[in-house]
Amino acid sequence: MRRALFIGLAGAGLAAVILLPLGLILKQAVTPEAESFAWPPTWLPHAPTLANLRELFGSVELPDGLRLSLLVATLTVLSTLALTLPAAWLAARAPTVGRPLDALLVIARLFPSIALAVPMAVLFVRIDLYNSPAALGLWIAHTLLAVPFAFFVLRTGFRRIPVELEEAAQLDGATRLGAALRVTLPLAWPSLAAAALLVFLVSWDEFAYALILQVTNRPLPPLLYYFAAFGYPGMASAVAAIMLGPAVVIIILLAPAIRSGGLTGSGR
Amino acid sequence: MRRPQVWLLAPMVAVLALTLVYPMLYAVRLAFTDPLTGDFPSLANYAQLARDELFWRALRNNALLPAASVAVELVLGLALALFLSQRFPGRGALRVLVVVPFALPEIVVLTIMRYIFVPRGYANAALGALGLPALDWLVPGSALAWMTVVVVDAWHVTPVVFLILLAALAGIPEDIREAAQLDGAGPAARLWRITLPLLRPALLAALLLRGVDALRIFATPLVLTGVEGVPVLSSYAYHQWADYGNDAAAAAAAVTLAVISLALSVPLLRVRSET
Repeated sequence: MRRALFIGLAGAGLAAVILLPLGLILKQAVTPEAESFAWPPTWLPHAPTLANLRELFGSVELPDGLRLSLLVATLTVLSTLALTLPAAWLAARAPTVGRPLDALLVIARLFPSIALAVPMAVLFVRIDLYNSPAALGLWIAHTLLAVPFAFFVLRTGFRRIPVELEEAAQLDGATRLGAALRVTLPLAWPSLAAAALLVFLVSWDEFAYALILQVTNRPLPPLLYYFAAFGYPGMASAVAAIMLGPAVVIIILLAPAIRSGGLTGSGR
Repeated sequence: MRRPQVWLLAPMVAVLALTLVYPMLYAVRLAFTDPLTGDFPSLANYAQLARDELFWRALRNNALLPAASVAVELVLGLALALFLSQRFPGRGALRVLVVVPFALPEIVVLTIMRYIFVPRGYANAALGALGLPALDWLVPGSALAWMTVVVVDAWHVTPVVFLILLAALAGIPEDIREAAQLDGAGPAARLWRITLPLLRPALLAALLLRGVDALRIFATPLVLTGVEGVPVLSSYAYHQWADYGNDAAAAAAAVTLAVISLALSVPLLRVRSET
């Protein structure tokens, strides 16, 4: 009895601590700006409105930012998969090449973003990639950021597909690469999809490089930062709600992969 | 097996070299070049940093903040993993819920938290409703602002530690604990003598992974308290670059952080290669 009470209280407390902040952002997104400045703050909107969203989509910044975020994330998915697919397949089939590569990728994954973003910004100014309207410099940075995530997911995926299938195809006259392309790759599509979704999310969520490399052509994360900093709680919260959309969808799609451990070893 | 086709690695390794190694070397060059005379190598930029009180605060915070937040995250993550490895109805839903904060975009989390902890925010409204005085959660340079940064960081990243420890707990056979219970060991003794020693490798892995990760802390103190509120090396480098246009000082701070991060990555890589 006491145990049930403890579990109930702990569970409810946990749910509140996690869900309350999320609820507040959604509340502010549909609250008129004037009400968001009230003291004491309201916990539920007195006059729910879509004015914040309407104003955002009527502005220049949001449609541009949304387009830029989608563009960079899509480009990053393509470049990252192109780079990691062959490498991950080889690493899965020839374990001896793994060790030094692992170290390089772990370092790439944990390296402080700002320590790279600063010299990148200085270099990009010179080659005209800084603040690029198509965010090409940011695309390069996001590719670096996403490569370790995609590589580890894909290598795990390739390892689960028996090498015997490729060998059988080779006995039937396929080349080693041909066998990989025609036999293994179609079987590996769940990992491929998981890697693509994860990479999209890495780019969609990324703040530090975007803040530094795109000073006026801003994708959504720095745009949200500026809306909040310049005192538009309703519009900032609406941008936050828009950013949550794809993040939530992708997490739901990836949940089975997360539970089966295919994505662990990854972090922020 | 035939000789591995190593050229398949070439594009990925080339891109990593070009985007990771080359900018890093370029930062080292900038950091050790005197911006006035062009002399290389020179310690002029580091001499400038050493005279800047904000840099020393950033350096100190960059050691203390990660230590504090990783400690908090290990304790919370362990408590959550122990709680959610028990059997009770609704456990599955809670397990998913607990991971939600980590799945949210960092800047979204920080925006929410800022609205909660600003002086006229929801935290003070809740205190007021309970008849308690309001607190200055984010006032620059205060101990409370420092703790707010730790709490917000823990809210966002504790799920990483939780997931690692939950997986490790699932790997501990039930009968070991049952045997200990039959031998008369109470819950505290079982935790201390059985569970924790068996969790040691997972705790170490979580500690090292989060430790190196935590060194990068940037957006949390920047968004919550601004550049001078709770400075860290990343926000200091950003400040030098964005507000003063001082590439060389920014690079010097960035290289300092990179060296610390690489040094702490060595034990992490060693643990990884053993598992």
